[in-house]
Amino acid sequence: MLEIRNITKRFGDVEAVNNVSLAVPKGAFLVLLGPSGCGKTTLLRMLAGLELPSEGQIVFDGQTVSDGDRNWSVDPAKRNSGLVFQSYALWPHMSVRSNVEWPLKIMKMPKSDRAARIDEVLSLLEIDQLAERYPNEISGGQQQRVAIARTIAPKPSIMLLDEPLSNLDAKLRVEMRTELMRLHRTTGATTVYVTHDQIEAMTMATHVAVMNMGCVQQFGTPTELIERPETAFVATFVGTPPNNMIPVEKTGTDCTVGGRHMPVTPPTDNCLAMYRAEALTLSQNEGETTLPMELIETSTIAGRTMLTGLNDGLRLTAVLDRPPGLRIGSLVHFCLPCQPDCWFGKDGSRIS
Amino acid sequence: MADVVVAGQRRLLNIGDGAALKAVVLLLLVALIVLPLLSTVLVTLQPDTIKAWSDVLFGRLSTNLFYKPLNNTLLIGVVVSLSCVFLGGFLAWLVVMTNVPFRRSIGLMATLPFMIPSFAAALAWGSLFRNDRIGGQVGWLQGIGLDIPDWLAWGMVPTLIVLTLHYFSLAFTIIAAALATMNSDLVEAAQIAGAKGFRILVGIILPVTMPALVAACSLCFAGAVSNFATPALLGLPVRMQTLSTRLFGMIEVGQVGRGYVIGILLVLISGVFLWAGNRIVSGRRSYATITGKGGRAKRFDLRSARWPLFSLAMVILFSSTVIPIIVLAASSLAPSSANLFSNWTLHYWIGTSDPSIAQGFPGIAHNEDFVWALIVTLGLGLAVAFSGMFVGLLASYTTARFRGGWISAAITQISFLPLLVPGIAFGAAYIAYLGAPIGPFPALYGTFALLVIAGTAYLLPFSVQTGRAVIQQVGGELEESARITGASFIRRLTAITIPLAIRGLAAGGILIFVKIVRDLSLVVLLFTPTMPVLSVVAYRYASEGFAQFANAITFVILFISIAASLVANRLQAKSQPWLQN
Repeated sequence: MLEIRNITKRFGDVEAVNNVSLAVPKGAFLVLLGPSGCGKTTLLRMLAGLELPSEGQIVFDGQTVSDGDRNWSVDPAKRNSGLVFQSYALWPHMSVRSNVEWPLKIMKMPKSDRAARIDEVLSLLEIDQLAERYPNEISGGQQQRVAIARTIAPKPSIMLLDEPLSNLDAKLRVEMRTELMRLHRTTGATTVYVTHDQIEAMTMATHVAVMNMGCVQQFGTPTELIERPETAFVATFVGTPPNNMIPVEKTGTDCTVGGRHMPVTPPTDNCLAMYRAEALTLSQNEGETTLPMELIETSTIAGRTMLTGLNDGLRLTAVLDRPPGLRIGSLVHFCLPCQPDCWFGKDGSRIS
Repeated sequence: MADVVVAGQRRLLNIGDGAALKAVVLLLLVALIVLPLLSTVLVTLQPDTIKAWSDVLFGRLSTNLFYKPLNNTLLIGVVVSLSCVFLGGFLAWLVVMTNVPFRRSIGLMATLPFMIPSFAAALAWGSLFRNDRIGGQVGWLQGIGLDIPDWLAWGMVPTLIVLTLHYFSLAFTIIAAALATMNSDLVEAAQIAGAKGFRILVGIILPVTMPALVAACSLCFAGAVSNFATPALLGLPVRMQTLSTRLFGMIEVGQVGRGYVIGILLVLISGVFLWAGNRIVSGRRSYATITGKGGRAKRFDLRSARWPLFSLAMVILFSSTVIPIIVLAASSLAPSSANLFSNWTLHYWIGTSDPSIAQGFPGIAHNEDFVWALIVTLGLGLAVAFSGMFVGLLASYTTARFRGGWISAAITQISFLPLLVPGIAFGAAYIAYLGAPIGPFPALYGTFALLVIAGTAYLLPFSVQTGRAVIQQVGGELEESARITGASFIRRLTAITIPLAIRGLAAGGILIFVKIVRDLSLVVLLFTPTMPVLSVVAYRYASEGFAQFANAITFVILFISIAASLVANRLQAKSQPWLQN
């Protein structure tokens, strides 16, 4: 059980994390997802005990480990948690084996146990043949594995990972994703994983907290985020392709969607209409619910075609079964369904 | 087709340009640096001087000529370099990694001692600690009734202290930069592993910054063993010789062959230590790692030790900068250094000749030697700044633009060669090289030209380094994008390169100016009465017992150095990453 209660972190006047509360059961895979600067790494560093919260508490397995209200926290080494740094933070003057061994030495683990545990984690991560190499003599992906081996060697009950895959190339990233999930199943440690990549979040997480500007926008399972986004930010940040968000304005009885009159009935005067990409179609001619757009991107994904149009700052994405055979730069009409999938207020909160 | 041919010709032409330019630069560097060193070796191999080798190494006098000075030199090198790394490392740790109060001020003050000529501190030491052992004036402490023992007034101990207080700021700069660029994640990873302060220091921080520590150590070593002024002022009166004072003495008394042999041995010793330092840090464990976000590490909380450690830092910094400056200023005004702070008079600055004071010497403003030396020194500084920046820029441009080939590698290696050569040995080499006529060229000994050429060659490592920084700033791509527009070389130079580089060039030139103006060890052998420079005039006055004149002149040098350094700092908005939050 990992619980975060009303955590706030201020650096001077800047509120990096603002009143965040969430809880996940033991063994969960929690992903903190958000754009850069949203406060997710700061939250992770507070979980690791490297930063003290300004307000609120962090509770691991029923024990309070950080209490911002009392200005107190348990030492990073005594929280039974481990952190994998984005930079890996391998000590360059130590071999792979010594890197894994050093924390165990500090714990005063007996020598024979140490050797056994090192062999165990090195073979778990399939890097046993690299044991005598130095960090600069192995590849980025291997460094990543060493960093993980070093973190899991003391058997932490909570694993913290800070954008661990961001320094790897695309193919290696997919492999490591699988590897990390296997590791999570093997160790059973509660895992907190920070990323800005929503695909990573959606594939790996049991729980996702989407963050923006220091606040948690929505906390739930990946399916919940896709099926019922609670804010306009979540709706446009999560999902491949992301949902379309079109401003709707009502003046008297008239209603404009993306600047064109359409027969819709918005719940308030000014709001946002969300349309899923798969709900949009393309039309050669102007119709009652079409928006004219310049076609700017097409790509084939899993046998379907994704098209993106741009007009006056509004960007729409549609997913079609077959390619329409249109040239980039040509004028197309994106055809909206009669009613949007849901409505959001101007402030981004969900209305219906 | 025609285009291809034109492109091909153009290409050939370019390679031709590169080769010609590279050859010119290489020849220039060989003439400036390699030939002087080579001719020194050749002189000692002449039939009538080759005996100097056996005299120095095995002869009856070899103990006094070489082995005793060698012992002193090595002792100075080892003690000073270790103390410098210790002091500089301590201050760097305080400034970069802790929450000590006034970190910025400490950081700024720790870089100051290097702006002060090293003989300034030695003179100040004399004004404070001199006792009556060798006669003449006693220092202030003796004057107020303390009995200063010989070991504190003269010889090894004061030499070690003064040199440490001078060179630690070099160590500080290197170590602070290394600590500041160290990935803070490395330390946090150790904290998470449960390691505490001392364990982190010994297990992580020291090994990771080892290259910087070794670099700092070897540079301080090279500086200390080649320093001439301090052992000459504090050691020679009690017959403590180092290799550099011995070299000076030999050449002074005309035993040129022996002097050169000692100079060559001094170069070898510096070289061996720098090479050994380099060997220690190269090898399997390369220290280049992926850099993290960095700079986010929490500063180490010193708690109740904050103010005590601050005071300790202040003691070190005050005794290396503020106190010497005050003592120099006071002693240039006080008729007796035993009463530093009373009976002040401006006689030593602006007084006219008075037979009852200082054997009738007038104040330095009326002293023709001083005025002429000031003019020569400033002229020398300007000339070396210009010629140094010119050669430095040419060499670094050549190697940056035409990277490949052994010529470029040779240019780089040769341009850094003077770092291995102590200033006084370099001066000796230049006497061997240009002291006698070469073919149609007249002997340059005693001319302004010799000083300029030797100064330019000696400071080439710094000017090439500055040139490189400037060229990196201007960047290949910026110049290339101008080439693509079809602008001519002159046009590119005036419209792109010079406007971008001018501040860096000016700052680099000023620093070279400062280095030559406050230098003593290079010019002390090249000096002639017709072509005097301030530092040597000050040294002569000091060694003849006219401390007030020496201190007044040193104060002038100090003023010029610090003022020019501050201007240079302003110009380059000096990057001191360890001061940023």
